[in-house]
Amino acid sequence: MEDTQIMQQRKTTIGVFAFGDVPAIVLKVIAAHISGYLKIDAEIMPSVTHPYYALDRHRLQYDCGLILQTMNANRFDGYEKVIGVLTVDLFVPILTYVYGEARQGGKIALVSTYRMRNNPHSKSELSSRVYERTAKVALHEIGHLFNMLHCEDEKCLMHFSGNLSTLDKTPLYFCRYCTVYFRDALKRR
Amino acid sequence: MAEKLRILIVDDEMIVRESFLHWFKKDGHTVATAASGFEALEKIEKFPYEILFVDIKMPGMDGLELLKKIKAGYPDTIVIIITAYGSIESAVHAMKMGASDYLLKPFKPEQLSLVLEKIKQQKKLASEYNYMKECLEKITRFDDIIGQSEPMKKIFKLIPEVARSDASVLLTGETGTGKELIAKAIHAKSSRAHLPFIAINCGAVPDSLLESELFGHQKGAFTGATYLTRGFFEVVSGGTLFLDEIGEISAKMQIDLLRVLEEKQITRLGSREPIKVDFRLISATRRNLAAAIAGESFREDFFYRINVIHIPVPPLRAHKDDIPLLIDHFLNKYSQEMSKRVDRISVEAMQLLKQYHWPGNIRELENAIERAVVLSRSRTLRTSDFAFLKLALTPTSGSQALRDMEVSHILKVLDENDWNITRSSAVLGINRVTLHKKIKRLGLQKPSP
Ligand SMILES: [Zn+2]
Ligand SMILES: [Zn+2]
Repeated sequence: MEDTQIMQQRKTTIGVFAFGDVPAIVLKVIAAHISGYLKIDAEIMPSVTHPYYALDRHRLQYDCGLILQTMNANRFDGYEKVIGVLTVDLFVPILTYVYGEARQGGKIALVSTYRMRNNPHSKSELSSRVYERTAKVALHEIGHLFNMLHCEDEKCLMHFSGNLSTLDKTPLYFCRYCTVYFRDALKRR
Repeated sequence: MAEKLRILIVDDEMIVRESFLHWFKKDGHTVATAASGFEALEKIEKFPYEILFVDIKMPGMDGLELLKKIKAGYPDTIVIIITAYGSIESAVHAMKMGASDYLLKPFKPEQLSLVLEKIKQQKKLASEYNYMKECLEKITRFDDIIGQSEPMKKIFKLIPEVARSDASVLLTGETGTGKELIAKAIHAKSSRAHLPFIAINCGAVPDSLLESELFGHQKGAFTGATYLTRGFFEVVSGGTLFLDEIGEISAKMQIDLLRVLEEKQITRLGSREPIKVDFRLISATRRNLAAAIAGESFREDFFYRINVIHIPVPPLRAHKDDIPLLIDHFLNKYSQEMSKRVDRISVEAMQLLKQYHWPGNIRELENAIERAVVLSRSRTLRTSDFAFLKLALTPTSGSQALRDMEVSHILKVLDENDWNITRSSAVLGINRVTLHKKIKRLGLQKPSP
């Protein structure tokens, strides 16, 4: 309970926003996970335009680096950190794809629902399982924003997942070590 | 907590560098980037990066060239080659040049984790190996040769190199410096290791006997030759022949040996039938053979035959740093041999042994320890246990030690040159008048025969 008190005193709030057309339920699930698991307030913000500028015409994927660079121009006043949600395929130059992206200690994180489906190309409705996966990636990326590193412990939110089966095995909470680290990171601000 | 690595990313494309940088930062590694091979070399010179991710295609110095330079200058550094699809051939080439792995860009997220996992595994093995190597080096012995001083380390380094060749080796150094141990170590590291190592002390065997020992003889070759005996040249059959005190052999024997070395065949005494022989020759001498050649007691052509590789073995006083290590070794050896618990040495005794100039070198030290262990009645050896050493128990002054060294050196040279003043002064590098003066001042006397 002591933790919640500290956070309330500092009024930590994380903003969740959509790039273009993203089902409202996805944003709601992410915000609920942030307040439920990280014990930090989360608010849904107005959406921003779809990042056409970041589409790589050869790879037909969206470059996370470019999106983050562009979004850095916004100040997002009143929010400690923000997380942008997309439905398109994301990449960083060295990797074939990423589920989400955040720079260590940065302010903005990205997450996409695109690869959260077992078959990204199917047009079937997003299931609750896809929502949970997206929220998990969002929590993981927020961890990076609070300077959390990848964790060797497979039973830890900060464990790196490169595929869905690993992601599914990854829990929504931190291991004991990372729990302490996260609490310290919040206090240190 | 996961192991943190020191990583350097070398790529001319900024977005690739950035991409790597952010990725590795999330793992908590220390990461830096370089935009060219030149910048990479500059950075690795200043900071010990353990792993380099190197793009194969870069302007200026390309990845392969950088790999070559890194492997030459920093062989322990792990290099991972990054390459685009369609250039696997050059990646394979890079692996042959010492790259640890390669990544085809772009790679799946798990691939990067896998590569790092592999590197950590590799590093763990390497550090385990290095740890073991270090442990071995702490004991610092090459087979039975002990030392961690610079002169000895140099010899340890030389042994495997010399072992790889088949050239004749000449070991020079005072008696008791461990020349035979070095010869054995060279043999043990050579391709002949599984074949015999035969050591003969030429100084201890009369010339006539040496000949039949080496060449063998037919039945009835001389009185007492009641049956055929194979000589060491045959018995060694592909192994290593160690001729100690080669400076002592007669002029005739020098010619005989020279012929064997040139023709690789022998004939037994009393026989005419040549027999092919194969061996590697290692010789040793405490004499100054150059002076012996000048004095015409040693053949120059023979000298060049046996002296293809020359290893000078330092006297113990030239590597006194090894004395504590040697004492420790001999203490262990003799307390075990005698089942007597003598495992320590007093500071004063250690001081005394370090000051003594050890004209008999390691062998004299070993004998001294053996004797002291036999006589000691306590666990600790004290100065009184070494009273038999010629040194006064009161510590000698620096100039006294220096004088001792000069005396023993001049005596040695005179001895080797049968007190011939002209030859001795040439070896000592002083003129005859000075040598005469020194002999008088130091009170040196020619030993009566
Ligand atoms: Zn991560
Ligand atoms: Zn953890």
